[in-house]
Amino acid sequence: MTAAKAASLPQMGDYDVIIIGGGIIGAMIARQLSKFQGRFAVLEKAAFPGCGVSKASLSQIHLPDFCPPGSLKGRLCRNAPARFKKLAAELEVLYREVDELWLALEPAQVSNLEVAKARAESHGAAGFEIIGPQRIRELEPHVTPEAVAGLYARGLGVIYTPEWNFALVENAVQNGVQLHLQTEVVDIGKTKDGIYRLSTHQGTLTARYVINAAGLFVDEIARMVGDGHIHLSLRKGTMLIFDKSVSHLARHMIFGSFSESHSQDIAPTAHGNLILGVHYVKTDKKSDTQVSREGIQETLKLGRQLIPALSEKDVITSFAGILANSNMSRDGDFSIAPSEQAPGVIHVMVGAPGLSAAPAIADYVIQLLGDAGWRTTEKADFNPRRRGWPRFETAPMVKKQQMIDSDPKYGHVLCRCEQVTEAEILQSIRRGARTMDAVKHLTRAGMGRCQGGFCAPFVLKQLANELGIPPTRVTKNGPGSHQILKMTKAVADN
Amino acid sequence: MAPALHLDLAIIGAGPAGLAAALKAKQLGIKDLVVFERDERPGGILPQCIHNGFGLQKFKEELTGPEYANRYIRMAADHDVDVELDTMVLEIDKNRTLTAVSEYGGLRNYQCKSIILAMGCRERPRGAIGIPGTRPAGVFTAGQAQRMVNIEGYMPGDTVVIQGSGDVGLIMARRLTLEGAEVKAVTEIQPYSSGLIRNEVQCLHDFDIPLLLSHTVAEIHGDKRIEGVTVTEVDAGWNPVAGSEKFMECDTLLLSVGLIPENELSKMAGVALDPQTGGAYVNEFLETAVPGIFSCGNVLHVNDYVDEVSTEGEIAARGARHRIKGKLSDEKNLIAIEGDETIGQIVPQTINGQRQVTFTIRVKRPMEKGTLRIGDIFEKKFAYARPSEMMRVRLPKKVFVEMKPTLTRLNVSCEER
Repeated sequence: MTAAKAASLPQMGDYDVIIIGGGIIGAMIARQLSKFQGRFAVLEKAAFPGCGVSKASLSQIHLPDFCPPGSLKGRLCRNAPARFKKLAAELEVLYREVDELWLALEPAQVSNLEVAKARAESHGAAGFEIIGPQRIRELEPHVTPEAVAGLYARGLGVIYTPEWNFALVENAVQNGVQLHLQTEVVDIGKTKDGIYRLSTHQGTLTARYVINAAGLFVDEIARMVGDGHIHLSLRKGTMLIFDKSVSHLARHMIFGSFSESHSQDIAPTAHGNLILGVHYVKTDKKSDTQVSREGIQETLKLGRQLIPALSEKDVITSFAGILANSNMSRDGDFSIAPSEQAPGVIHVMVGAPGLSAAPAIADYVIQLLGDAGWRTTEKADFNPRRRGWPRFETAPMVKKQQMIDSDPKYGHVLCRCEQVTEAEILQSIRRGARTMDAVKHLTRAGMGRCQGGFCAPFVLKQLANELGIPPTRVTKNGPGSHQILKMTKAVADN
Repeated sequence: MAPALHLDLAIIGAGPAGLAAALKAKQLGIKDLVVFERDERPGGILPQCIHNGFGLQKFKEELTGPEYANRYIRMAADHDVDVELDTMVLEIDKNRTLTAVSEYGGLRNYQCKSIILAMGCRERPRGAIGIPGTRPAGVFTAGQAQRMVNIEGYMPGDTVVIQGSGDVGLIMARRLTLEGAEVKAVTEIQPYSSGLIRNEVQCLHDFDIPLLLSHTVAEIHGDKRIEGVTVTEVDAGWNPVAGSEKFMECDTLLLSVGLIPENELSKMAGVALDPQTGGAYVNEFLETAVPGIFSCGNVLHVNDYVDEVSTEGEIAARGARHRIKGKLSDEKNLIAIEGDETIGQIVPQTINGQRQVTFTIRVKRPMEKGTLRIGDIFEKKFAYARPSEMMRVRLPKKVFVEMKPTLTRLNVSCEER
């Protein structure tokens, strides 16, 4: 995963399969693909994988109660929680079980719950029940007294997507997949042997099969292979994170109503905050992740309809993500299909619940590769296990002492809000974090209530020390995003 | 983990409150005490406050932050105060059991007869005030920038806008100017400055830095590094005034939009917090509602002057001594102190009339030519009062002795004449 491990580009030569995009879908495909023999690569344009749409999501693992009967997405997310649970054990990443409570706030909405229950059951998901107001109050004392009924289901989950994204890529690399960071594909051509030539700012790479998992940029990659008919329509969704002091307000994944302009959803995050979403507005810019005052207010309004006690003063941060809908998608279903123009290229276009379906999407893509002529042979020495590193904050006291015994730097808490230790920060850098944001997403240093107010200077110094670069070259998230511009006069003069 | 160690007094935080509390506690004969400090050096935030203006009350001279801290550090050392550095207190509970961790000491448990909370405060981050826009590099809180410049030697940038007229922001406007940066403006959403007048004069006026009252940063621009901000005027309801938007180019935005007492440990111990101050409810000994747990300095309420923070540490140390000696009865006849709608904050919130009391009061809105009243026992005229300047009133013990024993409430109010 380190830069040193990435092969230098010009000699890198041919791959069997190149995956464009190192987000959660690309990472999942890479990891599942690494079970097979072959030469595979992931091309990611950012300094760290998973910094696009994958990062800016609710990070929820759903059951198929959102998916129409007979839909591909319903089929692919049928066993989502079970698959994620298994992967969590293999990859040593966080998976937190959360139950679902979908509320009807007026009698007219009760039929929505019945329809959702029927949708889930059409995909073979059992255990959904419709409950009344009293039961709702028992489960969630802080929800609005207006709730007349709820759809209740057990065993959904929440994850922290950037952590999973990193772990999947790391496990794929462990099993022989090459990772190319800061490698943006700018053009795709073809040799006379039918091999695809991918031009990047870092040189040209060739492969027989190309998987287009470029997320928001799937249409631009498609155009490079002649599929100019793919268009995306974009919506920007605003989400809010709350201080842990109000986490008691919601213990379930609580849903309300859904429309073009909102998904009413409040739930615990994997790390125990509450996350509230989503207010949507149309946008035509893929980089439009600006949060507006209106977006924040509207999102809060959605939340307060479900839980009146939610307050603006407990919001610690807000962010926006882009949801793309492809014109290839029918009724909001996934579109995962071979290119019409370019044999051996597969376009992966998924909206929600793409994260939940990701493991099955990977299997499906590999099946499509087989259909396209690629011979799958399982590797004898595939290692499904990736070692995580323990988090100090959530470890029980006995374990904490063992951690300090094995590495005293576990006793040095640098991020006070999330109790992240120096050992964890060093571990993240040694495992591949190169930017402030990467350290933050891998360790949570700076994600708490003070948002890095105290620990950011320490993290900056650690990055500079470990990478052997001056502090002025440390960035937030890649070239151009430098944290500090120079040294003070006194330091510069020495 | 080893069995719990016993302490008469644990002090959490070695800033100006904690160090003064430790020194006073030693002077009062409490031998068995430890100060826990999470940073690598004692002094709290003072080592990065290299400007002067500290110590006028305590030392009758103008000191810099590091000088002020060093005086206390030296005095504490002379009294053999044990300060455990790089040590984080992870938990305390209502029975005063404390768990601390450090690289060299590992995890340790302490059973304490008394605890003084002196953790200070933190800055309100961008997310808490919800500034719209992109999320580029180059946005810092003022205190974060102060640490970078004065401790690490890092210059955040060359062209700076500062949102909020909190004192740290004003100090950093001057500091960055002296380092060669151009500070384009300080914006303040209120129609009045939220910092001390002396800082407004010495840090802004003297350097011709504009203070834009009733203005705010409405949007942040820039993808990788911040490239500028949109500043707008706001009305009395803080809504943007249409047509007043102005783009200001900058590579750095500092936020100085309020300080929040850092009470996470207090909450773990079951200490009840006052929503007005963000700190604990305390009595005149600065004892919280949890017997044996005291709170002082900026974790109790954000102060204006460091000298007063230290004085609060001393009051808490006296209280802790009484508690250890069993001299603090769990009083039943508490008198509630209640501010009316003109009062923003008041500490202490309850008293039991056992000793002299220093009330600290912030008005809710600026006032001119007013009268401050505490029940019918105290009255004082003032020329002006501002939320950013704390008023202090000290009432001797005899005032309360004279009061009717049935008194359960004292109303505090400010009225314009």
